[in-house]
Amino acid sequence: MRPLTRLARLWPNVPLAAGLAALLVLAAGLAIIFENEATYRTQKGSEIRVQAEILAASVSAALDFGDAPVAQESVDALRVNSQLMAAGVYTADGRLFASYERAPGRLPRTLATATPRGGNAVEAVVPVTVDGARIGSVYLNALREPLSRRVTRYTIVAALILMAALVVLVLGLAQTALRRANKELEARAGALSEAYAELQVQVDERARAEEQLRQAQKMQALGQLTGGIAHDFNNLLTVIQGSADILRRPGLAEEKRVRFAEAIVETAGRAAALTAQLLAFARRQPLKPEVIDLNAKIRGMTNLLDRTLGERIRVETALDESLCTVKADPAQLEAALLNVAVNARDAMPDGGTLTISTGRCALREEADAAVFVAIADTGSGIDPEILERVFEPFFTTKSVGRGTGLGLSQVYGFAAQSGGDVTMTSQVGQGTVVTVILPCSDEEAAEAPAEARSNGRRARRSGRLLVVDDNEDVGAFAEALLGELGYDVVRVTSGAAGLAAATGQHFDAVFTDVVMPEMTGIELAERLREVAPKVKVVLTTGYSDEITRSGAGGRPVVYKPYRLDTLAQVLEDVLAQGEREG
Amino acid sequence: MRVRRAPFRLRALRLLAGTALLGAAFSAAAQPSDVAVKAAFLSKFGSYVSWPGASGSGPINLCLVGSDPFGRLLDDAVRGQHASGRPLRLLRMNNADGAGGCHVAFVQGSNPAATGAMLGKLRGKAVLTVTDARAGGPQGMIHFVLHQGRVRFHVDDAGAARSGLSISSRLLGLALSVRQRG
Repeated sequence: MRPLTRLARLWPNVPLAAGLAALLVLAAGLAIIFENEATYRTQKGSEIRVQAEILAASVSAALDFGDAPVAQESVDALRVNSQLMAAGVYTADGRLFASYERAPGRLPRTLATATPRGGNAVEAVVPVTVDGARIGSVYLNALREPLSRRVTRYTIVAALILMAALVVLVLGLAQTALRRANKELEARAGALSEAYAELQVQVDERARAEEQLRQAQKMQALGQLTGGIAHDFNNLLTVIQGSADILRRPGLAEEKRVRFAEAIVETAGRAAALTAQLLAFARRQPLKPEVIDLNAKIRGMTNLLDRTLGERIRVETALDESLCTVKADPAQLEAALLNVAVNARDAMPDGGTLTISTGRCALREEADAAVFVAIADTGSGIDPEILERVFEPFFTTKSVGRGTGLGLSQVYGFAAQSGGDVTMTSQVGQGTVVTVILPCSDEEAAEAPAEARSNGRRARRSGRLLVVDDNEDVGAFAEALLGELGYDVVRVTSGAAGLAAATGQHFDAVFTDVVMPEMTGIELAERLREVAPKVKVVLTTGYSDEITRSGAGGRPVVYKPYRLDTLAQVLEDVLAQGEREG
Repeated sequence: MRVRRAPFRLRALRLLAGTALLGAAFSAAAQPSDVAVKAAFLSKFGSYVSWPGASGSGPINLCLVGSDPFGRLLDDAVRGQHASGRPLRLLRMNNADGAGGCHVAFVQGSNPAATGAMLGKLRGKAVLTVTDARAGGPQGMIHFVLHQGRVRFHVDDAGAARSGLSISSRLLGLALSVRQRG
């Protein structure tokens, strides 16, 4: 029953056309059945009639001559038709002349009773005539195909028709369902695309807002950075300018002159370290690792630290003498220690103690031998949530003009690049400890030879040099410097001019800036190899990016800002090499 | 002379039917004398024979040539009879000389030789000749015999063909034997 009720519930969903089509199929099927039945009846009737006529024709002579056996033969010939129930030949006066009966009672004894009896039988009475005269009659009684068989046949037909109608209905239903689903889908797709468009707008807005925020943050960071740099540089410039002013005073005592000149040199060195630190942070300057004795480095820095931290802060050291050497960039190490110390100083505005200790340790969980240098202060300490961010670039708690936000991130970058680590622990009100861990090196520390040589006075140099620099000031300075060293110097301000000069005249060496418009120093060096293959080229730059990108081609490089000693040494080496080759 | 014999099956059926049905249904028909049956047969042959030439509209002449064994019986049988839609006329004649206009002729002389002579005169003419075995001797196209107590006949279809006659197959179906046309 359930399928039926479900079908009934589905009925309203069937489209009118499908319902009509199904009804039409049903009606056509019924019509076919009835037509079939009617045709069958007519056909059967005429068939029996024809058989009766054939029989009448074949028995006419026998009946005429009263030859019953021959008539009987003709009648018996009909036995093969299993549907024929009875056949009789009657004389003109209605007597039975010859007969055949499949079942008793089928055959009327006389023709007078041979009236159609209906029912399931098909009867036919046909006159037997000779020369147009009726001499008797033939009676045939045939069984129609049994009703059950016909019903079966019609049932099959009806079932087929019903199935066809059902198929039509189901198709109609499916069509309706499909159409409805389509409509729903369309509606959903529409809603979805609307939602998508809205979302897109929101995403765009958000992206715009984020971009604005990023820009603002960038500007903030830039402000912080430039402020910090300006502050630091102003400090350094104050020292340099002041010292230079004093040096210009006439009649200055020799002892004072040396002291202020030294101050200028030292301060300029710090300024150079500051720019180097910026470049290192920008990853423009590769590390130049050397094997370092950490304790010696710290001892060498105590004077600097004392001066940097001021008188209210006491610097103590607790150095473990059994340390191994480490391999690191000494300038970066110095900068890192200085950065931590400066932070410690700022954490102790009312003074305190800075303790630098070293010792052996293991790097991370691995058993690699390492050394640590821990810098502890007795300052205000750092909030835990700030502690999480202290190594982020541009993160600073200092006001604009007092810090770049790069200090601790430089420390972190240095430690990481050197294969070590840095940790920071702090307790508010107690102080902070920054520990830099560096892996052990198995090499011996080298004595700083440059240091030893820088103090040595040299003999006057000789040689012809070409200085190429697009910056008038730097070029003039280099010219003066080299002239002071005793070289014969020609200066030009572009690569093309340099090339022309070197083509026409003889030079022992060319000292050229790398970053210049139109022709870079490296291009110039390449061209010079063609026109003057023997001339030596020394590159100089304050910005190592170009060197990093194109390579120096094996040529010596003097990084700006350079010291007189460094420049003199490099040129001397180059010229000496030229003499050996020449 | 080829005599077609009815197939065995038919004969067997006929025997069976003869014993079963004839006794009951045909008992009344067996009562009339052989002569009356022959007279009735004579009056009916015309319906199963077609003569050469366009069929005329005049009567079919049934002639008794020679002796008359039927008497009034034949007159009764012929009365009111038609053959192929034409009325039947009975003519009696002593010899075959005037029998050329006959359609059907029962020929019986006083002796077999006389019968044969009369048949000879009709040979080649479009006349259906009928003889009776009781007279013995020569046979016409249809030859009455008494077979198992019933009047039957042989048919010489070949002879009929020679005279240009065509005998209906329905009539041939009733014959005891048929001499087939060549």
